[in-house]
Amino acid sequence: MGEPSEVLIPIGGVLDVTGEVVAMWVLLALLSVLSVLATRNMKERPGKFQNMVECGIEYLDGFFAGIIGKRLSRKYFFFLGSLFIFIIFANYSGLIPGVGLTKYFAAPTSSLSVTLGLGISTFLFLQIAGLCAGVKHYFKRFISPIAFMLPLMVLDEFIKPASLALRLFGNVFGEETVTHNLYDLLPIGAPVIMMVLSLLFCAIQAVVFTMLTSIYLEEAVEAE
Amino acid sequence: MDRSALIALAAALSIAVSTIFPALGQGLAAKAAMESIARQPDAAKDIRSTLIISLSLMEALTIYGLLIGFILAAKV
Repeated sequence: MGEPSEVLIPIGGVLDVTGEVVAMWVLLALLSVLSVLATRNMKERPGKFQNMVECGIEYLDGFFAGIIGKRLSRKYFFFLGSLFIFIIFANYSGLIPGVGLTKYFAAPTSSLSVTLGLGISTFLFLQIAGLCAGVKHYFKRFISPIAFMLPLMVLDEFIKPASLALRLFGNVFGEETVTHNLYDLLPIGAPVIMMVLSLLFCAIQAVVFTMLTSIYLEEAVEAE
Repeated sequence: MDRSALIALAAALSIAVSTIFPALGQGLAAKAAMESIARQPDAAKDIRSTLIISLSLMEALTIYGLLIGFILAAKV
């Protein structure tokens, strides 16, 4: 977070293209191609690839159903599932050989801009889901159980996505930085130590981000 | 002390001090989890996932300190 990522194609300040953005585009293209391949000619008795993807999606659905219940999980799976798949692929892309070494290709979530973008999307999702589920309940939530808590509850709505974004960014950026410094120390062999830890922590961060989002969603959409 | 030295000292203190209390908290959470798993091995799966989420929430506090350390270390 000390120095900003180096810009590849400047498109006017905010929309600069950096190595992380390029990696994000490649990731999006890869996931789209995989999804199209899996859902083309969908059969009642699936072939191998469709079966594998269905297995993964069912596991994710069961995971969310265990946290927020089956009805909410099915209704909001479009956001929660996409969030999980994007974050876990983006985190693991930092482990591919060569990613993060040059400025042309770096793990997307190792940039605060990307994780803040995810945080803003989550914020909008939570507010819109809460509003769609009942405008009266949405406003009543801020002044229950006691009206004194109104400023704190409003502040909380902004802090929750910010803490999610900072947690994800801090973990992935820290992993990348430590790997880089170990590489400067001893080019072959030393980074492996951190990369093995990365295998575990990348998955945990994806799970935690999505699990917390689903818990906040359940709070916001509490069934009457 | 000149400015550079103070900034370097602040960066080092920021990460060092901010690991103390979250580490204590994580130890308490792990202790409670291990006692409950020992008491009820059937619930191990649920306890384990709750433990992982609690640990990562406390980990986030250390990460905030680490981020301040990174920002300061770049200004030395």
